[in-house]
Amino acid sequence: MNKILLILLLISTQIQAQIFLGNSGNISFFSETPIENITAVNDNVSAVFDASNNDLVFQLNISDFIFPNALMQEHFNENYLESDKYPNSTFSGTVTNLDNDNATVEGKLTIHGITNKITANGSFVNNGDFISIAANLSVKLDDYNIKIPTIVMYKIAENIKVHIDIKLKINK
Amino acid sequence: MRVFFFFLIFYMPYCLNAQDNLFSLLSKDNSPFYVSYLFKGTKIVNGQSVELQAKDILQFNIQHRFGPLNSGAYNLYGLDFSQVRLSLEYGLNDWLSVGVGRSSSTKVIDANSKFRLKRQIVNGFPVTIVINSVICLKQIPSSNLLNSNSDGVYDNLSYTHQILFARKITRNLSLQFTPTFIHYNFVEIKNNDRFSLGFGGRQKLTRRISLNTEFFYQLNEIINKNVLSIGFDIETGGHVFQLHLSNSPHMIDTDFITNTTGNFLKGDIFFGFNISRVFTLK
Repeated sequence: MNKILLILLLISTQIQAQIFLGNSGNISFFSETPIENITAVNDNVSAVFDASNNDLVFQLNISDFIFPNALMQEHFNENYLESDKYPNSTFSGTVTNLDNDNATVEGKLTIHGITNKITANGSFVNNGDFISIAANLSVKLDDYNIKIPTIVMYKIAENIKVHIDIKLKINK
Repeated sequence: MRVFFFFLIFYMPYCLNAQDNLFSLLSKDNSPFYVSYLFKGTKIVNGQSVELQAKDILQFNIQHRFGPLNSGAYNLYGLDFSQVRLSLEYGLNDWLSVGVGRSSSTKVIDANSKFRLKRQIVNGFPVTIVINSVICLKQIPSSNLLNSNSDGVYDNLSYTHQILFARKITRNLSLQFTPTFIHYNFVEIKNNDRFSLGFGGRQKLTRRISLNTEFFYQLNEIINKNVLSIGFDIETGGHVFQLHLSNSPHMIDTDFITNTTGNFLKGDIFFGFNISRVFTLK
């Protein structure tokens, strides 16, 4: 009996040691239209990966997105993403298909207070101490109830390209 | 059975809400959450708001004020008179911005600096505090300058110092309190030093239109009227149009706070609008 207990204890502590953490990941997005291209970058993305069950979560503050133009940044926070009401965006999901440093991630993405199920493909390189994750995905503004007024409709793309780049370190 | 019991104890935390647990592992971000965008523009109506021009942004303003509404149909209710102030504002830093301008009718050149001391923080410091200092030079014809016995340029200088306290009360309503001190180097009557209390507010009507009001109460000046201004900020993507009504025709702090003679209730109301364009300098 005691032996089983000891084994269970060992296993459970081992699981705890399989957590990977990252705090300064990078998420950028691009809106491309014939009239205007808009880019914004967030360098304060945090993420956790649990290697025991392949769970992966991301979190960021909306107000950490930096735009080249202060007026765009104001409109992004005030009119579109309403960062005072919905200060952060999260993703929680699972790495489902991992082979040869390529992975598929499925989970729930929350932006602007609205949660949708998404699937994304990207690179997932695990060298034991570090994991590097890079992925591209497309976010449709309408899915997250982000309304663009007609007057700037031709300047903002309906589908925003999002690029994710983050390095996680094993948590000891 | 007992094995199963221990299994539950040790494995439950990892099976239940595994992803929620992962969120709790994220390092707590202790950096303060600053309250931003208390006002749409760097001015409420005529007076300065606690907003500073963003870093590396140069804003070019063309401000128009027409004559009084009660000047009759002959003057098309004031539209026949118009004066202009051209100005540039530039953000040197996140907490420091500077500006220069010139008003056409009063021939005043002004320069100002705005310095942000404190920012409102969510569940923290209650107000944003900004110091605004203005120096104004009233131009006079060079012939007068040669003939007069005055000290020349020195006599035509005036200074405004303000401390701006503002708080975003709700996401739509911001209020500002602005104690103001103005000093004239030379005055013909009354005192050189004037004190006023400014009150301002912004109420968003829709996501892109806000109603702004501003009131300056005079503490030690009898001839000069209190100043009431009402304005709308209308945002159209790349531009903000500002339309105002005020009992002062002036656009610079020293002039509109201490040289307002119009009476709002008697129809001495001046219509005005601002057009601005921003340039990113990097």
